[in-house]
Amino acid sequence: MKQNEITQSFDVIIIGGGATGAGIARDCSRRGIKTLLLERLDISTGATGRNHGLLHSGARYAVTDKESAEECIKENMILRKIASHCVEETDGLFLSLPEDDLSYQSKFVEACNQAGIRAEIIDPKEALRLEPSANRNIIGAVRVPDGAVDPFRLTASNVMDAKLHGATILTYQEVIKIIREQNRVIGVKVLDHKTNEIKSYYAPVVVNAGGIWGHNIAKLVDININMLPSKGALLIFGHRVNNIVLNRCRKPADADILVPGDTICLIGTTSSKVPFEEIDHMRVTPEEVDVLLREGEKMAPILAQTRILRAYAGVRPLVASDNDPSGRSVSRGIVLLDHATRDGLEGFITITGGKLMTYRLMAEWTTDLICKKLNLSAICTTATEKLPGSRESIEEISKKIISVPLTQRNSTIYRHGDMADRFSENTPLDNSLICECEEVSVGEAKYALNELDVNNLIDLRRRTRIGMGTCQGELCACRAAGLMSDMKKICTNRAKADLTSFLNERWKGMFPIAWGDTLRECEYTAWIYEGVCGLTSSSKK
Amino acid sequence: MKFDTIIIGGGLSGLISGIYLSQRGLQCVIISSGQSALHFSSGSFDLLNNLPDGTNVQKPLDAISELIKQAPTHPYAKLGENKFKALTQQAEDFFKNIKISIQGNHEENHYRVTPMGTLKPTWLTLKNLLISENGKCLPIQHPGIFNVTGFLDFYSQFITDEFLKMGTKCSIHSINLPALENLRKNPTEMRSVNIARIFDKQENIKELVQILKAESKDCDSIILPAITGLNREDVVDYLRKEINKPIYLLPTLPPSVPGIHTQQKLRSVFQQNGGVYMLGDTVLRAEMKGNRISQIYSFNHGNIPFVGQNFILATGSYFSQGLIANTERVYEPIFDLDVTFTPNRTQWYNSDVFESQPYQSFGVKTDNTFRCMREGKIFENLYATGAILEGFNPLKEGCGAGVSILSAMYIAEQILSK
Amino acid sequence: MNLQQHNISDNNFEQCIKCTICTVYCPVAAVNPNYPGPKQAGPDGERLRLKKFNFYDESLKYCINCKRCEVACPSNVKIGDIIQAARIKYSKKQPKFRDYILANTDLVGTLSTPLAPIVNTTLGLKPVKAILDGVMKIDHRRTFPKYAFGTFESWYKKVAKKQATYPGQVSYFHGCYVNYNNPQLGKDLIKVMNAFNIGVQLLEKEKCCGVALISNGLIKQAKKQARTNINSIRKSVLEKKLPVIATSSTCTFTIRDEYPHLLDIDNADIRENVELATRYIYRLLGQKKTKLNFKTGKKIKVAYHTPCHMEKLGWAYYSIELLKLIPNIELTILDSQCCGIAGTYGFKKENYKTSQDIGEPLFKQIEALDIDYVVTDCETCKWQIEMSTSKQCEHPISILANALE
Repeated sequence: MKQNEITQSFDVIIIGGGATGAGIARDCSRRGIKTLLLERLDISTGATGRNHGLLHSGARYAVTDKESAEECIKENMILRKIASHCVEETDGLFLSLPEDDLSYQSKFVEACNQAGIRAEIIDPKEALRLEPSANRNIIGAVRVPDGAVDPFRLTASNVMDAKLHGATILTYQEVIKIIREQNRVIGVKVLDHKTNEIKSYYAPVVVNAGGIWGHNIAKLVDININMLPSKGALLIFGHRVNNIVLNRCRKPADADILVPGDTICLIGTTSSKVPFEEIDHMRVTPEEVDVLLREGEKMAPILAQTRILRAYAGVRPLVASDNDPSGRSVSRGIVLLDHATRDGLEGFITITGGKLMTYRLMAEWTTDLICKKLNLSAICTTATEKLPGSRESIEEISKKIISVPLTQRNSTIYRHGDMADRFSENTPLDNSLICECEEVSVGEAKYALNELDVNNLIDLRRRTRIGMGTCQGELCACRAAGLMSDMKKICTNRAKADLTSFLNERWKGMFPIAWGDTLRECEYTAWIYEGVCGLTSSSKK
Repeated sequence: MKFDTIIIGGGLSGLISGIYLSQRGLQCVIISSGQSALHFSSGSFDLLNNLPDGTNVQKPLDAISELIKQAPTHPYAKLGENKFKALTQQAEDFFKNIKISIQGNHEENHYRVTPMGTLKPTWLTLKNLLISENGKCLPIQHPGIFNVTGFLDFYSQFITDEFLKMGTKCSIHSINLPALENLRKNPTEMRSVNIARIFDKQENIKELVQILKAESKDCDSIILPAITGLNREDVVDYLRKEINKPIYLLPTLPPSVPGIHTQQKLRSVFQQNGGVYMLGDTVLRAEMKGNRISQIYSFNHGNIPFVGQNFILATGSYFSQGLIANTERVYEPIFDLDVTFTPNRTQWYNSDVFESQPYQSFGVKTDNTFRCMREGKIFENLYATGAILEGFNPLKEGCGAGVSILSAMYIAEQILSK
Repeated sequence: MNLQQHNISDNNFEQCIKCTICTVYCPVAAVNPNYPGPKQAGPDGERLRLKKFNFYDESLKYCINCKRCEVACPSNVKIGDIIQAARIKYSKKQPKFRDYILANTDLVGTLSTPLAPIVNTTLGLKPVKAILDGVMKIDHRRTFPKYAFGTFESWYKKVAKKQATYPGQVSYFHGCYVNYNNPQLGKDLIKVMNAFNIGVQLLEKEKCCGVALISNGLIKQAKKQARTNINSIRKSVLEKKLPVIATSSTCTFTIRDEYPHLLDIDNADIRENVELATRYIYRLLGQKKTKLNFKTGKKIKVAYHTPCHMEKLGWAYYSIELLKLIPNIELTILDSQCCGIAGTYGFKKENYKTSQDIGEPLFKQIEALDIDYVVTDCETCKWQIEMSTSKQCEHPISILANALE
């Protein structure tokens, strides 16, 4: 490790590049605060990238947690406006199956109405007409304004806007020490994983937005936050079987939400406590797969015949209230801790709890607190100003790139909104597809490599969906690695090492569900990369 | 429909057994459910690169006795040491006889070049593909690597950097001509085979000669991706003659032009010998008499059965659905034969994708003459060959093609000796 | 646990594991860069279309529905079916008047046959071809199949009584081509069947199988005609207990394999009883050991061309085995590849080049041979081969009929 003496000063340092961290960076920079965001890996690698991608209406929380429900529906309406290219307005149905208690439905609708959520009981027949994949035997259905949101795009757009307003975003920078001066935090020391250097950054305010990993960040200054890692497993299916979000109309339980997201749909989740040692190594067990399938099939029977692409798990940062060390009364609400008042440590803030839906609100509250500490009075604009990508209508963008082949045009606009015309040189070379399942062109990959803080193949996947389709990278991983080395983004040794870690990352999600066609795909992929290309894990070295 | 031998599966092992038998006067039919894995071939056939315990193998003949000790159900172990030796020689003669030109022999592995530019040991390599005899250096010093502009399945930079480690310094060039521009209008179909179709045409080959001549002045040799020789074999020879420099091909990502050419060649040899090749048909069920298969029924032929003396199962592994895995088990779908696999599906995989994956070693149980069985009872006239067999890991041991070729020839011998 | 035991969706595009084999065998993508290719148009595209209908790309119309992708696919993905079904489901393009004329083989045939000599001459005239090309977008380089003077059906009326006297009986789906263009093939079939002591009946009511209507997007009409045909076939098979045979590989394929999934017309009860004449005869020869009496004529040299739908059916074997029975025949099997015509596809001005480029390797192979005839089971292949090569093309049944005493 090299010690780098060069240091830089900012007004605020945000630790964590999830949706919350990115949202704070956006809010701060828009309020004129000199902002630095540090992320130990890539953006949206934690819980942000490992959930349903559900644009909650709040209905799910209406009965049990009115406050969360109200926050959700407000943010839901805001996101539809400011992040239209990350959101799909699908609506949602809460279905009652014959085994469910129909009396829950009226309680549910009443709670929704009280929380300000439009909830409309519809005839089961009408529900089946709207969503033919739903179980034919449903006895009740309620329509709510659920939707789908792409967390990768949402986070990337926040980062983009933050950068446009002067924020510095650094990925692969792991905070290893929080620098303090008596009872003040004044900066952080980081390990730069790209160069293996140690660097220091200074700011009067440091924000801990590390999600579940925030527990360990706080520990660096001997602060204990009573967090409970809760694992949630999900399954991704090969294509969209539903176009409306399906929920079970019952008390929240395992595998009761089926969300259509981009080209796929996903069922989740399970919920189980895991020890902190495991949060970087989530594995989906066969038991979890079985539960997800069994319950999922009840909502949409077609899932029994639908190919599963992968299984994955995220970790929710549940926070026990400070006066309950046993952890029994956990909240899924927003937890904003000013450690000056809580622990007597000035200049340090922790934002945690909450959910993807409320990331903006969490960012707003946090930024308000930062402003207070910095003695600023700028007001929040994130609820009204549209994110980059969401500023033009699909029709307008489509006109601009009308000569790009149709399926490719639709896909890029879906992914990048009004940024889609920035990267399309629209030459045959740039329009060639790297990823054929998800229609990712050379031009789109180049744009991501040049402008979206991509360091490796896995980052590229998060920005573009390369390798997220049916073949899970079999056809495109090598093409993408080849492009990266051709563009001199990385040396060929790194490119090949990248390829092996990319394939291993894909495999991690595939082997828990590797039977049927998925196993065929796995075998074929092994033939190509291990057999024909001769890749081995030792190519890493 | 009556045949002497009915072969299910039209890939490498099915075709080799079919050719072997029809050359010796047996009336054979091959029923193939789609095209085979030869379409993704590297252009080389591996015999044995590693023992099951991971030991590297340089001389397969010397390693076979140790292999038999380590893996008693390995197809090579069923052949036995002497038969293994005899068949490897026979296989090389077989290819020569049907005019498939190959490099390498069973005495010692040579090395093929992967699309990544690295070297990998192998047994036989199709002609025109670049090989290294010793695995340390290449027979060329200053090649020019010529890729087709916009062809995404070949990686000049990877190859250049790997070659440099072996002391070979490459220059990178690109090829473009109007016919390629036309193909490029399609965002996905700039594939090896479509490019190869362009270079099947004389006018385009002539243009290629001009490009190669003009740009290869400082090169001692020329390297092209394997994008020629789909329907005609003489392209590389022609280029060599016109340019007067050694010209080598390197494999691309799928589809594999050398592999497809080999498949087509094998199929045509089979048909020239009177074999009937039925593509795109799926065998659905079989009828038995005692411990013999009497006839099988397919999707296309409905109630007209295939009646035969002997049956060869060359349906491959999971990819071609010779084996099918569900959440519970791995099974063979036509005859429901006994299959060796571990019951608990968590034990089918290793969490590191590049480690040995147990599922790849699952396969149908056979006796030492590759006859299949159900509930332990042997079918007298049903033989299995190739990737569907139990007891070997084609990738880790580097023996997939060898198992296909040798077991196919061995079965053909068994059938002939009946 | 018994989860996901039958992991096959209705439209089985998810079985695709992106191996790219289909792209190797698509005759269109190889010559026309405007066609996305079977992988993109089929399974990849279907997944996107399920996300949103606006991913449907009108360039799917370039698919010739040859099914060679399906024959090649090692995963049994019904690529061609997926593409055709998508065209029916999503296409918003209204068929042109030209398409309507080309697709309505029945109507045009009925109008043309009484006036055959005039129509044939007229269609051959340069000014007429220019009008067809300019106004109708039917390519002027295309030769039209000649219309016969009088239909097969009208001829049959004269022999119906005699046919009924044979001890065995079979129903014949003659198709538009035999009816309007080549009644001789129908007569040849009757000769061959009579040699087996089997009389030939026609269906109570026969309509064009609808293949051209389907490919031109005239689905409603195709369904109507298909229903008529299936009802007639049911009458024959279920009531009269007479199997139905045909001489056109495409009609046979359409009735057996396209009606259910493209037109939503169930044929499960009669599917097995609709087959090609050559297959029926193969079966007869196997069962009854009937001996055919052949002329001791001069040597005949023929080359068999496997039409795409014959390749898909897997039945070229039967036609080839029949030809082999003929004494003094020298038979070459041509490489199985598409001739490029694909029914009405090749008639359209915008497809002419694609069509001829697809067929080129086949034409070359044919021209290189010293043969008397090309033999094939498909009428449109016949037109294409006769127009594009110097050789005459005949149906295996006609060759067989000619060789019989």
